[in-house]
Amino acid sequence: MKKVSVVALREDRKRLLEHIQDSALMQVTKVDKHRKGYTSVDVSSQMQVFERNVTLCENALKILDEYSREKKGLLSSFEGRKEVDPDEIGVIASNSGEIIEICRTINDLNKNIADNSAEQVRINTSLSQLEVWQNLDIPINTADTKSTAVFIGTLPAEYTDSQLSQIIAEENPKLEFEFEIQYSGNNLTCFVLFTPISQKKMAEDVLRNLGYSRPLTPTSHTPSVKAERLRNKSKQLLKDSEESIEIIKSLAERREEIKVTQDYFRIRADKYNVINELEHTKHVFVIHGYVPEEDFEKLKKLCERVSTCYIEAEDAEDDAPVKLKNNRFAAPAQNILTMYAAPAHSDIDPTPLLAFFFYFFFGMMFSDAGYGMLMVVAIGIVLKVFKPDKEMRSNLKLFQYCGVSTFFWGLIFGSIFGDAPAALYNHFTGSNLTMAQILPWPTLDPQKDALTLMVISIAFGLVHILVGMGCKFYICFKQKDYAGAFFDTGLWMMMLVGFAVLAVGIATTPLMLYIGAGIAIACAVGLVLTQGRNKKGVGKVVGGLASLYDVTSYISDLLSYSRLLALGLTTGVMAQVFNMLATMFGTGIVGSIFMVIILIVGHAINIGLNALGSYVHTMRLQYVEMFSKFYEGGGEEFEPFSLKSKYIKIKEEK
Amino acid sequence: MFTNGMFFALLGASIATALAGFGSAKGVGGAAQASMGVLSEDPSKFGKMLVLTLLPGTQGLYGFIVGFLILVNCGVLGGDIPNVAQGLAFFGASLAIGIGGMVSGFAQGKAAVSGIAMSAKDDRNFSKAMVSVTLVEIYALLSFIVSLLVVITVPSLKI
Repeated sequence: MKKVSVVALREDRKRLLEHIQDSALMQVTKVDKHRKGYTSVDVSSQMQVFERNVTLCENALKILDEYSREKKGLLSSFEGRKEVDPDEIGVIASNSGEIIEICRTINDLNKNIADNSAEQVRINTSLSQLEVWQNLDIPINTADTKSTAVFIGTLPAEYTDSQLSQIIAEENPKLEFEFEIQYSGNNLTCFVLFTPISQKKMAEDVLRNLGYSRPLTPTSHTPSVKAERLRNKSKQLLKDSEESIEIIKSLAERREEIKVTQDYFRIRADKYNVINELEHTKHVFVIHGYVPEEDFEKLKKLCERVSTCYIEAEDAEDDAPVKLKNNRFAAPAQNILTMYAAPAHSDIDPTPLLAFFFYFFFGMMFSDAGYGMLMVVAIGIVLKVFKPDKEMRSNLKLFQYCGVSTFFWGLIFGSIFGDAPAALYNHFTGSNLTMAQILPWPTLDPQKDALTLMVISIAFGLVHILVGMGCKFYICFKQKDYAGAFFDTGLWMMMLVGFAVLAVGIATTPLMLYIGAGIAIACAVGLVLTQGRNKKGVGKVVGGLASLYDVTSYISDLLSYSRLLALGLTTGVMAQVFNMLATMFGTGIVGSIFMVIILIVGHAINIGLNALGSYVHTMRLQYVEMFSKFYEGGGEEFEPFSLKSKYIKIKEEK
Repeated sequence: MFTNGMFFALLGASIATALAGFGSAKGVGGAAQASMGVLSEDPSKFGKMLVLTLLPGTQGLYGFIVGFLILVNCGVLGGDIPNVAQGLAFFGASLAIGIGGMVSGFAQGKAAVSGIAMSAKDDRNFSKAMVSVTLVEIYALLSFIVSLLVVITVPSLKI
């Protein structure tokens, strides 16, 4: 990694930045404190405009999705971004104004629809309030005449005609009145009451005592007319909303253009974000950043081609970002590594080892030739047809390699869609063959030879752990920490080897047993003598003895590899169960139809469940058992200044 | 009363499947509730949530496999009918994965719920959450392996 500073003329700024962004060669670092004589340029107002446009497009796309769902294939999530010619960018830029207008329209229409539906709710409330007044043939707001006072309203109780006249008379026997009940029920009485204008005050008092209140929907029309009007208005609103929806739907065909425009503004916002971080003087500006060593010449050529500039480079310090480089075989596993942590400066890049063990263990757990073949072929087709983006492509590649390993382990375990070949053969011929009898090569049946397989699993585990410790040894050695290399790591490695020899000895000759025990004891003595070396006095002895306790953690690490057996067995047995279920319905036509359905569904379930299990547990073996031996992590990943678009990618110039 | 061990063998098959399944059902159920809470906010996390939700599901699978292997070895789906001692041995073997699977299913379910909360906050926590949740599983695995080794060896035991 090299630390570079590019000094160029301000008039070249746009061109230079665009080219650096396109090439994705360089990570730009922010300058916290400008050197003397340099200032920053504030472009945040332009940036805000771009970001607002991005949001506007985003919202418009969401609204379009709501009213006219984009037709997507089942596998479309594998699809890569659309390729765009560099020349097309100009066209996109010149169209962007129009597209932003369209996005505004879509947003406005959507707001209109929301407003309309809020209004609808209000209208419906009014309508339900008017319902009790529907028989009233004068307006609710009817005013008093010269001689008569009019009261239109409700009382909070149910009354019949006679009850109402009775309680009014009880309140004030002097009151002269005439009334008509419009509605009575539900703890509510709606009525119209007339009194002589001279007794208006008296009537008010009486009604107030009874809990009189005026209607909530005052109107100068009769209730039925008002209700009709409201209904009409509601219809209108509905129509208006429908029209808006139609317009939105008709705009859905511009969806692709909106996506492209959104990306255009996203890219520009990114670029302006970088401008904010540069140092400027009156005539020149400076870009600071990191570039991988092998790309330095490329960057230099690029900059000199498009601008008048001066490039300064020095070797980067320890906290520089890290770029992982791996060959085709190992590169897919980089994602697994960075999911844990990017390597720190002191780490080695363990990706090749990780990749090998990942494929190996995944295959051992999934272990079915049929499933492995299916993975390889299906992923091959997806890669060919959909041309996925880099990240998706590398994830798919990872599983393709895992599929190859799964295929071979399946052959070793004698499992091809479980025992499907044997089960189907027996089903149709009535014979009683096993997979071991069908397959011409010797197989290792996890069900019958579980104990053998468990020993093998733990042996692989030992190798895995030793490789991890070997990395630690190498790292310590490289850093000239010889004590750490030989005493802390080397002795433990020897001890584990000693235990392994001892275990072999138990099964075979006593000679091996003695050799193994000898190595183990020698290492244990060595550990007791060296592990307390940084402590004082009694601590030296105690520290040395205490370190032997670590043997428990190695034992639990090794036992953890028994999952290789467990998951391998699970895949095989589940497949066997489904095969058995499928062949339970006889050899007739109906039975065969059932058989095919059960086979397809059953094996699909098995693939889903066990691929997930294998993936998760392989990852765990890498992270917990192996990485804990040597890997520090915590480095920063190299993240070049590039086109971070969602829908399009620029075709590379040839 | 018992002339052969079939009853105990079948009891064992049921116990292994049911108890381990009970543990997984509870674990996955809790995790699914938590993940649906997250998905209602951000449906794009479905893949990661699914992984974390399914992690406590393996115990049920192990229990089922032990149950199935007992059936294969005890004369129901193959093998010979066991004597009483062998039947009791099958039953004994089923207890390991039954109880171990059930309790570790509960525990793993709880860990998965926390893992879901953790990776809902920040996607980068996902791998750490996943590994932490699988730490619980080793105990189900050990139970499974003990059950498995016993079930496989019982038919050849002279007891």
